[in-house]
Amino acid sequence: MELSHFKIGHEGREVFWNAEHFEPFLFFFTFIALVIFAYGLYRRWLIWSAIGKAEPEDRKSNWKVRLKNLVIDGLLQRKVLQDRYPGIMHALIFFGFLLLFFGAAFDATEFHVAEPLGFAFLTGKFYLFFSFLMDLAGLAILVGVFMALDRRYLSKPDRLGYRGKPDNTPDDAIALLLIAGIVITGFFIEALRIAVTWQQTPWEVWSFVGWTLASALNGISEPTARALHKGMWWVHTFLALGFIAYIPFSRLLHMITTPANYYMATLRPTGTIEPIRDFENAESFGVGTIEEFTWKQLFDSDACTRCGRCQEGCPAYLTGKPLSPKKLIQDIKTYWLEKAPAAIQAKKEELRAKMAAGEETDKCAKVLAFLDKIDQAIDKYVPARPETGEKALVGEVISLDELWACTNCMYCMENCSAAIEHVPKIIGMRQYKVLMEADFAPELQLTYRNMENNSNPWGVGSHLRGEWAKDLGIKTLAEDPNVEYLFYVGCAGSFDDRGKKVSIAFAKILQAAGVSFGILGSEEGCCGDSAMRGGNEYLYQSLAQANIEVMNGYGVKKILTICPHGYNALKKDYPHFGGNYEVYHHTEFIAKLISERKIKLKKSVADYVTYHDSCFLGRYNDIYDEPRKVLKAVPGLQLLEMERNLAKSFCCGAGGARMWMEEHGERINDARAKQAIETGAQTIAVGCPFCLTMMSDGLKTHGKDETMNALDIAEIVWKAMDLEEEKPPVDVCKT
Amino acid sequence: MNIIACVKQVPDTEAQIKVKADGSGIDEGGIKWVMNPYDEFGVEEALRLKEKFGGEVTIVCLGPARAMETIRTALAMGADKGIHIDDPALYEADSYATAEALAAAIKGLPYDIIFCGQRAIDDDSGQVGSILAELLGIPVVTMVTKLEVEGNSAKATRPIEGAQLVISTSLPCVITATKGLNEPRYASLPGIMKAKKKPVDIKNAAALGVSGASKAKVVKFVPPPARPPGKIICADDTPEGKAAELVKLLREEAKVI
Ligand code: SF4
Ligand code: SF4
Repeated sequence: MELSHFKIGHEGREVFWNAEHFEPFLFFFTFIALVIFAYGLYRRWLIWSAIGKAEPEDRKSNWKVRLKNLVIDGLLQRKVLQDRYPGIMHALIFFGFLLLFFGAAFDATEFHVAEPLGFAFLTGKFYLFFSFLMDLAGLAILVGVFMALDRRYLSKPDRLGYRGKPDNTPDDAIALLLIAGIVITGFFIEALRIAVTWQQTPWEVWSFVGWTLASALNGISEPTARALHKGMWWVHTFLALGFIAYIPFSRLLHMITTPANYYMATLRPTGTIEPIRDFENAESFGVGTIEEFTWKQLFDSDACTRCGRCQEGCPAYLTGKPLSPKKLIQDIKTYWLEKAPAAIQAKKEELRAKMAAGEETDKCAKVLAFLDKIDQAIDKYVPARPETGEKALVGEVISLDELWACTNCMYCMENCSAAIEHVPKIIGMRQYKVLMEADFAPELQLTYRNMENNSNPWGVGSHLRGEWAKDLGIKTLAEDPNVEYLFYVGCAGSFDDRGKKVSIAFAKILQAAGVSFGILGSEEGCCGDSAMRGGNEYLYQSLAQANIEVMNGYGVKKILTICPHGYNALKKDYPHFGGNYEVYHHTEFIAKLISERKIKLKKSVADYVTYHDSCFLGRYNDIYDEPRKVLKAVPGLQLLEMERNLAKSFCCGAGGARMWMEEHGERINDARAKQAIETGAQTIAVGCPFCLTMMSDGLKTHGKDETMNALDIAEIVWKAMDLEEEKPPVDVCKT
Repeated sequence: MNIIACVKQVPDTEAQIKVKADGSGIDEGGIKWVMNPYDEFGVEEALRLKEKFGGEVTIVCLGPARAMETIRTALAMGADKGIHIDDPALYEADSYATAEALAAAIKGLPYDIIFCGQRAIDDDSGQVGSILAELLGIPVVTMVTKLEVEGNSAKATRPIEGAQLVISTSLPCVITATKGLNEPRYASLPGIMKAKKKPVDIKNAAALGVSGASKAKVVKFVPPPARPPGKIICADDTPEGKAAELVKLLREEAKVI
């Protein structure tokens, strides 16, 4: 082949060099690879849709936002890159592949469209740049693959396994080696071509990897090079096509499912749980069998890449509980894969029956019927997997210890690189245990009875709810419904001795700032968060409705809370039931009072303070800055950060109804208190009464309750305002 | 097996009890009503027997209209049907009149075993179970913490001072339940929903053929005196001095030793 039309100034290369007659074969094999790919995807779709039930949540509308999520997280890898080493590793492979993919597309366009039409564009400077970029991309992929091999087989971080046992599958190695193989053979093809043509094409030095490799092949005879090139060309082609065909049957499927999952990711406020709507007529509640998951929930687990980001910060996992969010998702997936053959069979029967009865006449059904035929043909040759014995989803596939260990801290969902929604699945299964089987921890049963009878988890008489405010001159809404803000105190602030101090501090701050507010007193009820997150949706809704009735009765519009759980429920969940309010957490509100100069912080309270991000403030509601701003406004206060903070904060252990349950083994609050102690701070500042209890208890465990303390931000601020003389403890015998 | 569980609706243990100004009773405003906890043990045991031997559990309850909620609670736990004795003539019934009404309601029913709570936590009289057994002419074992039913007899364990007493009895009999017998179940949601549709017979005194006449009459309700504040012993700083002062106070002021 002459190279006359390539010369300096018109640099370029012949696309099918030394492979002139391969093209029809290439088309043929590509077609086969694509058919296998499509069939694999269809098969997968059949499984999700055959097993899962309809998805009640809208996953389609608002396409602009969805597309944005897809671009930012899927294409630009925002979430993936939040983790340095694995992020870079994945980005090298991903972007490298993307470039090579577009490169191949360019090549194809050049050869099939541009050149025949006479406007070849892969020439000149652009060609040089293109060559350089393609080699760079290949190199990046190789570096990424080596990083991945190192992680998986040498450095083996815990998150790529479960309790020190790597969860590697042959598929992991195959995928990585396929990728490496494609790139390496690609480089060799390039090098062999350059080894033959380099004298005519000195610009190929821009294909710097191929050029270097070609120099290493120096002295190879042209016929040998050409023969080797031909062989290598086919190896490369088959690897690449094999890769495409392999996608739906391997972990590579995440190339499709993960971006799709980003597109379909919930757009509702973090942590929203789809309320059960029809208690009267529903046959079953919650998720007791795999079929009670929605198809999207099953699809989710096919988007999981086993990256382990979720596991790395799961407080349950890190304190030795059997729960790992990654394992949970993977166990669900393994289970539905086991169920798949039977489910597909059933789905086909159903379709056949429908078609026989003439019920399904739309196009979709026809396509399905066609695919069904393919399937039947293939089923003849591929024996069905033997069905394993029946296992219960809840209790066996997912053990009860796993199910109940979750604190609903939202670490997993917030940090997942595939937009997987773990928490709703966990709550769904809890709903099944609580609502359907009424089989759950006795201590939690007691809590729920207390909430039923006295509208608080401790079971203290509900008439005592307003007692804490007795001597503070705070009006109830019954006395004055015209106040601007309702201070919704919540159960901890009303009944727990430690929590009451926080309510008092906040109320005094409000009074000093001249804020018009009132409380509901004994008309207030439990917000229901612990019921909802513990699976007792029925109790939760009855509590929510009772509160909404009272608050709407007074025409409440703005609400202040000191408890992030109440804050979250009132703000984001009550609208489901007709409670629409403007809700502020006290840290937000205090920050506002400070910036408006309504209160002044004059006195120093503690020198070194570390702030513990509550899950329901931080990850659930994105309130990270306000509490820190408030703390920094305290004179002389220096804020020390724990390593796990902000969106990666470590839960205190109280969320998800865990506050009311026994904890066995290492306690989450102790682990967190230890992290706080390690900062060297004297005070752990919190914005949640449950975190307050948990951190105080943790300090006691570590014998630090004498030298350190846990304080709510409201308490710190009230002290710093210096409006009340601190009374030294009274010696009763001296008075 | 035909099992009957008698239940009473009482104020929640944490409820604020206010005596009416005229001392005629308690002010019911704002009170949360619940099933008497001891009756709950009875209902639970009834359900466990039903699960073991098959049969039916009937709930019998005396009380005003609000008591229906308590019957539904027992039905939600898994009982099959209820009898609600609702008659103003019986609202002030003493233990005897109550037992008489219950006996009248139960008489016409087939039964192998009858459960009552060992006492109700509101009036604490603890007599209804025994009187009921007497009126029906069957044996009673009170304060039962363990029950084993076999064929036509039952072995019931009850605590006595420092020991356990195991009592054998023939069926039918009355068992009064106390803490330790079991852990009452939490009602499932389908249970709650189904309970709404289970049959409950409402009967008045006339239908039962009882007069409702009490043998005992409450003269007056008086709230307990407010608890006096605690005392801190300061007299002497030495442990011995404090102990001496404590003994003196216990003897002279509190008059307990
Ligand atoms: S919500 Fe928190 S505790 Fe629950 S699985 Fe996720 S990371 Fe673990
Ligand atoms: S659930 Fe998400 S974060 Fe966890 S392993 Fe799977 S992809 Fe990674």
